Amino acid sequence: MTILTTLLALAPVLTGPVDPSGGLVAIKVGRAETVSHGPIDHAVILVDNGKIVEIGADLPVARGIPVIERPEWVVMPGLVSCYTRLGVESRAGQEFNPEASPTPEIDPRHPDYKEALEAGVTTLGLYPPGTGVPGHAAALRPKGKAIGDMVVDEDAYLKVYFRANSASKKLVRDAWTKVDEYDDKVKKAKEKWEKDNKSKGSDKKEEEKKEGEAKAEEKKDDKKTFVPPEADPKVKPFVQVRDGELGMLVSITQAADWAHWLDAIGERKFDYALRVVMTREIDIYEVTEEIGKRGVRLVMEPQITLVPGTMRQRNLAMEFATAGAKIAFKPRNDTIQDHVAWRRHVGEIVGAGLARDAALRGLTLEPAAVLGLDKQLGSLEKGKTANLLFLSGDPLEPTTNVEAVMLDGEFVFGEVKE
Amino acid sequence: MKFWIDRRSLSVLAFSACMGFALPSFGSPSSAQEGEKKEEEKKKEEKKDEWFAVLNGDVYTGTGAVLRGATVLSKNGVIESIGHDVEVPTEAKTLDAAGLRVYPGLVAINSAGLFGNTGGDFADSVDPYNQRMTLALASGITTAGQSNVALKLKRREIKGVVLRERYLATLSFTNSNPQGKREMNERFERAARYLREYREWEEKKRDNKDLKEPAASGVDSTVRSILEGRVLARFNASNREDLLEIARLAQRFGFRPVIDGCIEGWTVADELGRAGAYAVITPRDRRDKEEQLVRDGGSSIENAAILHRSGVQVCVIPSTTGVDLGGIAGRDILHLPIEAGFAVRGGLTDQAALESITIVPARLLGVSHRVGSLEKGKDCDLIVLDGDVMHYQSLVQYTVVEGKLVYDKSQELFYAHIRPRPSTQLAPEERKDKGEAEEPKEGAEAKPEEAPKEGDETKPDDPPKDPPKDG
Repeated sequence: MTILTTLLALAPVLTGPVDPSGGLVAIKVGRAETVSHGPIDHAVILVDNGKIVEIGADLPVARGIPVIERPEWVVMPGLVSCYTRLGVESRAGQEFNPEASPTPEIDPRHPDYKEALEAGVTTLGLYPPGTGVPGHAAALRPKGKAIGDMVVDEDAYLKVYFRANSASKKLVRDAWTKVDEYDDKVKKAKEKWEKDNKSKGSDKKEEEKKEGEAKAEEKKDDKKTFVPPEADPKVKPFVQVRDGELGMLVSITQAADWAHWLDAIGERKFDYALRVVMTREIDIYEVTEEIGKRGVRLVMEPQITLVPGTMRQRNLAMEFATAGAKIAFKPRNDTIQDHVAWRRHVGEIVGAGLARDAALRGLTLEPAAVLGLDKQLGSLEKGKTANLLFLSGDPLEPTTNVEAVMLDGEFVFGEVKE
Repeated sequence: MKFWIDRRSLSVLAFSACMGFALPSFGSPSSAQEGEKKEEEKKKEEKKDEWFAVLNGDVYTGTGAVLRGATVLSKNGVIESIGHDVEVPTEAKTLDAAGLRVYPGLVAINSAGLFGNTGGDFADSVDPYNQRMTLALASGITTAGQSNVALKLKRREIKGVVLRERYLATLSFTNSNPQGKREMNERFERAARYLREYREWEEKKRDNKDLKEPAASGVDSTVRSILEGRVLARFNASNREDLLEIARLAQRFGFRPVIDGCIEGWTVADELGRAGAYAVITPRDRRDKEEQLVRDGGSSIENAAILHRSGVQVCVIPSTTGVDLGGIAGRDILHLPIEAGFAVRGGLTDQAALESITIVPARLLGVSHRVGSLEKGKDCDLIVLDGDVMHYQSLVQYTVVEGKLVYDKSQELFYAHIRPRPSTQLAPEERKDKGEAEEPKEGAEAKPEEAPKEGDETKPDDPPKDPPKDG
């Protein structure tokens, strides 16, 4: 009922034919893969101002609201490719550059972005190249005239390239030691500040009556007004990671890397996702249980791998999902062809045993979470950005075509008529 | 606290029995506070202690007796006791080795690639999941030297891999480089002189405190540490003349040389024995005698046996130290025990041959206090085989490293199908044929596979029983 009233209330605001460039529109499709709440048959999605206003089955639509009715279509959230170098060159970078961002490299006119969008990829996570700690990844929408139009989030996650060797381990250990040093600095600064503040208070002799209360208040004031010293730009990203303000993506290639990563971070607790490079004979299955137990989010290619030295196949995505890890897929390569074939490749993994809902999450919501955008993107929910992918059938079927793509409430691909 | 420890060392059984009770019931002497402390201690120990027992095997201790049907008990990775009347705590993980032989884990003095693609920084780059490590464990190797570092093959673990670094110092001392030889001689002379002066100074210092310490400048630090016995000098030599020169050098300056190669060692075995040499040999090495010389020369299959008889400690290593799966009875590191078998063929005793791949290389790596034989207080690194360790048909059934089962043949993709282990420990001739009617399995509980299943940690995790997983 509430839905109906909202729709009615909105009705007088906009009437007339479909405006393909945003504005209020209702879309009726045969099926909606919400990703977060399972599929909805006969779904109606109401989009306004770039956001999903309402979604549900067979919702009544008030008269006057333009309606696009496509009962043969299936809608799902736009795909999120959270780890890519699409449209920019691959090159080696610096050893330790945590403050760097790849955004200056972007060429908004690069044809790959348009093609990616037409394949249904509505968000890209562009990572900085190089080894060590090469910098921040940026979240982009693959459309815009200038770099500024494209960037959704400049600080999507901190990339760490980790390998089992003393140089990598030292890099990580040193970074955290510097965070500790910074914490000490903050602590000292705060103590000093408190001291100064207290002496001032005693001069005024105001708090003498209610000492206890006054002290408590004073402490509160401290927190309000105390400004911690600015961290070094090389240290700040790690402080942000520690405080949960910034994600971290750690790239590893083998089980041993994971073991040494655990050794390098020691007892520290912070959130990180793992980028596992699915090489042909990767032995990461040795630590599936351990990784799954921690509920780590993994960024991996939809790829069947082999047990080293054999032709035995393993579906690692399935094994990890079963063990409790969260799977975020990335296209097999950074080429546009692999972005186009991405859904089909994930479909192959589903054919080999991965649960369907995990696969759909792996294309949308999980990579959005890697970018730290899972509150805005990655599923069909009320209030989320209207990045919609309209398909001719099941998203994971190889014969399914992209019919239309909506980016921020705007149709950017496909023939759409009322 | 003392009470507790004493009690346990008296009888392991008592320990396990009192686990369930509160400690004061045993008559804790004094205050409740102390009782609490004990309680904490107990909890800690309960958490910490990991027991592992290999039962009923024929235990070849390596340096001592062969104990038939004995038990090896490990506590936290260290051998607690070996014998026939060992009390095994109830919580211990056990491995039934009835009808099988238990040997100390083998030690390879040289190896390549067993620890992954490391750059020498083993503690930070060891790959404990790499296949070559598994293959080496399957051939019985539990400790190996690489880049002059003694390393433990700890599968799926990266802690405690490095045992000892730089115990061997390689020197060149050969007749083909007379100048280098002369210089080496001088270095030894200078170092010996320095040490002599230093000792004199130390004695005189008691009376005269102002006496100046002898200058250490110009003294080769490597040679000095050799003479002080802190490292072993390693030479690469196979010619009779070189071997004699090394023996003389060693006797003159009083150190024990380690000689790699040593192909013509059998011709000068007495001299090498008198010099207290160690020989690192490959019994299958072949070299022709130089025909123009009248004296003995060339290789001999009896080399190891003759050297051993003369008092040389023999260490055996295959000719290739990496993993190289070419050929039957190959010459790579995986055929370490077979290489020792060739020394036996040349007359070396079984015991000396076992030592040549266990305790002697452990001594050369400077880790004989931890590995190389089954003794109380040493690391519980052992292998369980279905026959003699040096027989080419024997297969390693289990490998245990520091009290943890790291290799179980029946669970390994590459090995499970090779002559599968009988499901019970009956001798092969007592087993029934497949065609015969199956009896209800009484022996099912006695399955050797049962025991290690208790510990998921020690379980290899790609059981071939589960083919759909692998497609």
